[in-house]
Amino acid sequence: MRQLLAFLVKYRAFLLFLLLETFCVWLIVQNNDYQRSAFTNSSSQLVGSINQTSKNVGDYFRLGKVNEELAAENARLKALLFSEETVVPLDSMLSQEIDKDTTDRIQYILMPAEIIRNEIHLANNFFMINKGAESGIEPGMGVINSFGVVGTIRSVSENFAEGISLLNTRNKVSVLHKNSGRLGTVLWDGRDPKKAPLLYVTPDIQPQKGDSIVTSSYNAVFPKEVLIGTVEEVTRDENNTYLQIRVNLSVDFAKLSYVYVIKNELKVEQDSLMNLIPIDLQ
Amino acid sequence: MTKNLATILFTLVILLPLQVLVFRNFVIFDMGFCFVYLLFLLMLPRELSIALEMVIALATGLVVDLFYQTIGIHAAAGILVMFLKPYWQSINSPRSGYEVNDLMLIRTYGLSWYLGYATPLILVYALAVMFIEAGSAGLFGITLLKATITTLITLIFILVIQYLFYNK
Repeated sequence: MRQLLAFLVKYRAFLLFLLLETFCVWLIVQNNDYQRSAFTNSSSQLVGSINQTSKNVGDYFRLGKVNEELAAENARLKALLFSEETVVPLDSMLSQEIDKDTTDRIQYILMPAEIIRNEIHLANNFFMINKGAESGIEPGMGVINSFGVVGTIRSVSENFAEGISLLNTRNKVSVLHKNSGRLGTVLWDGRDPKKAPLLYVTPDIQPQKGDSIVTSSYNAVFPKEVLIGTVEEVTRDENNTYLQIRVNLSVDFAKLSYVYVIKNELKVEQDSLMNLIPIDLQ
Repeated sequence: MTKNLATILFTLVILLPLQVLVFRNFVIFDMGFCFVYLLFLLMLPRELSIALEMVIALATGLVVDLFYQTIGIHAAAGILVMFLKPYWQSINSPRSGYEVNDLMLIRTYGLSWYLGYATPLILVYALAVMFIEAGSAGLFGITLLKATITTLITLIFILVIQYLFYNK
């Protein structure tokens, strides 16, 4: 017994070291996991407000860029508006067709928010926005900006929300090669924050440089055909099973400012239908 | 002793907010992070017990983690450094030996000693942070590169800060 005590006393520093490291590992496993973040969530109120203050100071230095971006988006939306104008046919009765009730057709609602912190240099990056549960943000919602997909919301506090960036080696996004309609997955490889690989596209289609890669809407998070990027480079792998495609991301993650959080009104319905399938078939 | 304590507390109060608010945004060459708050951990005197130092590292590491959104990673790396620090200090002692209650700074034992003392510890810290963060050895090369550049940048900043603010 005395020897045991002597041993414990002698190696108390090492034992404490092991204890503390175990505690840290527990924290890492609990919180850095893909979906769970209990600790960060409870504290993100305080951290969020500090980040907000720090962001407010930083904002003054970036006003020019943000203005430019917003102006560009305005221009794009205006162009969209004009292109919608249809030519009135000679027989105006043709245009009198009455649409059926459109209120139930609004599936996606966009809520504007501002990024208050953002990482791009780690292997698993996250961002934080200045809207939270009070504004109706929920975990699992998609986040886009005027250029394309930014990420998904992972946890929410009263006034802030944390999201998993597309630049996260564990965040898969289901996408389409627009020209061929072929399904694939974009999963960042942790290297260049401007590029990401597109996986699981078989070599029987020939993607060209510059082809658009868009979201597939198979996951009830993003609407159909939100841009992710354009094909930059296509090579064949050694076994010739899949193409190795690098995608030039359309969003510049280094200067994210304003984003939209997407609320899918039909998500519950879609998911509940999905859950009817037995687990082993999903 | 009181003067040393004042220096330590002052460093903590200044460096930790600087780390999470300012230096978090500095990423040089898209790869090199700057963990200046390590200056605080590295300057703690030998007289503190390992246990206390590790608890301090845990606390400061968790604060940094909250802002980097990497709960536990910086804390784990800090504890590791604090555990290794006394052993490394006794291996790598200055020629004249350590004095009681001295802070571990350039001004006490000179630049060449400080480089030998701080560089490996910062490297251990950077390696631990980068590899835990990457979560696998899949990105081995790039993670190693990141850790090396991070070490260099952190070291440069720590040296500059000491020459600017910690002169005799």
